Amino acid sequence: MIGYILRRLAQMIPVVLLASVGIWAMIYAVPGSPIGALVGENATPEQIKEAIARLGLDRPMLVQYWSWLTEAVRGDLGQSIQSRDPVTTLILGRMPATIQLGLAATLVGLLLGIPVAIISALAPNSWIDRALSGWSALALGVPTFWLGILLILLFAVQLHWLPSASAYVPFFEDPGLALKNLALPAFTLGVYVSGIFARFLRAALLGELKADYVRTARAKGLRERDVVVGHVMRNAMLPFVTVVGLMMASFIGGTVVTEAVFTYPGMGRLLIQAISTRDYPLIQGCILFILLIYVTINLMVDVLYAYIDPRIDYS
Amino acid sequence: MSGKLQQAGARARRVFANPGALLSIIFILGMIAATLSARWIVPYDPLEQDLSSTLEGLSAEHWFGTDELGRDILARVIYGARTSLLTAAGAVTIAAVFGVPIGLIAGFFGGWRDAVLMRIVDVLLALPGILFAMALIAVLGRSQAAALVAVGITGIPSFARITRAQVLSLRKRDFVLAVEALGGSSTYNMLTTVLPNAWSPILVQVVILSSVAILLEAALAFLGVGIPPPTPSWGEMLRTGKSYLYDAPTYAVLPGLVLTLTILSLDTLGRRLATVLEDRHEAGDDA
Repeated sequence: MIGYILRRLAQMIPVVLLASVGIWAMIYAVPGSPIGALVGENATPEQIKEAIARLGLDRPMLVQYWSWLTEAVRGDLGQSIQSRDPVTTLILGRMPATIQLGLAATLVGLLLGIPVAIISALAPNSWIDRALSGWSALALGVPTFWLGILLILLFAVQLHWLPSASAYVPFFEDPGLALKNLALPAFTLGVYVSGIFARFLRAALLGELKADYVRTARAKGLRERDVVVGHVMRNAMLPFVTVVGLMMASFIGGTVVTEAVFTYPGMGRLLIQAISTRDYPLIQGCILFILLIYVTINLMVDVLYAYIDPRIDYS
Repeated sequence: MSGKLQQAGARARRVFANPGALLSIIFILGMIAATLSARWIVPYDPLEQDLSSTLEGLSAEHWFGTDELGRDILARVIYGARTSLLTAAGAVTIAAVFGVPIGLIAGFFGGWRDAVLMRIVDVLLALPGILFAMALIAVLGRSQAAALVAVGITGIPSFARITRAQVLSLRKRDFVLAVEALGGSSTYNMLTTVLPNAWSPILVQVVILSSVAILLEAALAFLGVGIPPPTPSWGEMLRTGKSYLYDAPTYAVLPGLVLTLTILSLDTLGRRLATVLEDRHEAGDDA
């Protein structure tokens, strides 16, 4: 097991290093000078001189990359051109909002997706299965930004029940207000996720239903519902954990579109603002941060998967 | 040859025997026809402003209403379809042109080539697609070409992986080994023996990736980092329309509806195609 984790880590490191070179090299690829990209195009000559000295931009490229990387590892991602705040502070400030939205959306996705998958798998190819498969296709095909707009039109513009722009309210400070603000974005994102969950879990359940132990369970007279929920679900949950994990990973990196629809102040909006103001240190920081989270969660999911399913061959 | 054509015809009939797939292809062909003939059938210029009639609702004159600059929304939706379809076609071409050879070489040779190529693919997968595209656009600047390239590059991994998996399953088959034994070069073997037998999942991927590309292009435009205005783009219309939800709700709703129908059509078609082509392998009617 430890060997497996180490092997996966060894695979991950070159990927992360290569990607980090790409992110670092960004400022050299943008139009204009890298100094302009780092301190802003309207920087004064003094600011430029100070930046060259501080960032060591007159050193060889390899040395520059190395110092950028070691500082990043220590948590120093430079400072934002716009606000002059440390990039790390800005990113960490937005993380709770994105995590809260991600968790809420996952919850909505599970609540909608699991029942859909079970009902479908209980009667494969029946009319209800086809209807629910159609629903999954719809959940996946409808762009989240359009669904979000429709929900705003209905619940905010027409009914005035919910706000059209969602603020971040920590759940434990004011659960009511937090839910009111989270309802629309979490539902919008959750519907999409439920489509993935439902499709995946249905396939996993149907695959398991062919196994011998299911025949045995049926032969001893168990009701179909008990066979599915009691026996099959447990085994189908294993691959399902992977999918849920992967979705959570892309939430933390993403939710970009949903955050834009509801002007929700998370990581995604920070990145979009950074791109539109050409705040390169902030762009680099956001992307590096998301990359690390994404890759780490992927690794954790793999390891968790191997851990809960002893049949997995680590070699 | 006529036998092959008949087979293809029979398969096409099986694809369109499904009502959903039939509706999808009708919708897509209709949209292509509309964009091709837009110059003659749309009475309005998608860029022409008329500040005396802004944010009008649906009317006989402007079926989809007008936007904040008095431009005809239907005209912009139809010209926006051109933007979407061209971006999708370009992006899928980029993805296939790079992805298929990567998968082919990695799967055929294995060993260090496989390891190196697949690590490169892993780097492309180290970020969710939309973020990768945003990062690229942050570097390239906002332009139509940047959007196309960014969306195309995010599609490379799926072509590479699917082709590789397909090639791996073919690599040790007798007919591939036979070409090798007879002294056929690896390039000859890959291009004339392996690839022609690996095409069906690649074709399915072309259709599915088109829908992904259209969605991604629209999402980038919605975020304000896609194809820059005034080029009509569905995502950009949703972005602007969102600011006028109280005055002109149909502004954002109708372009979004067309976008959604397009994505659903391509997705339905792709999945139907996959089912029919998978049955082919089970029936074993070619090899």
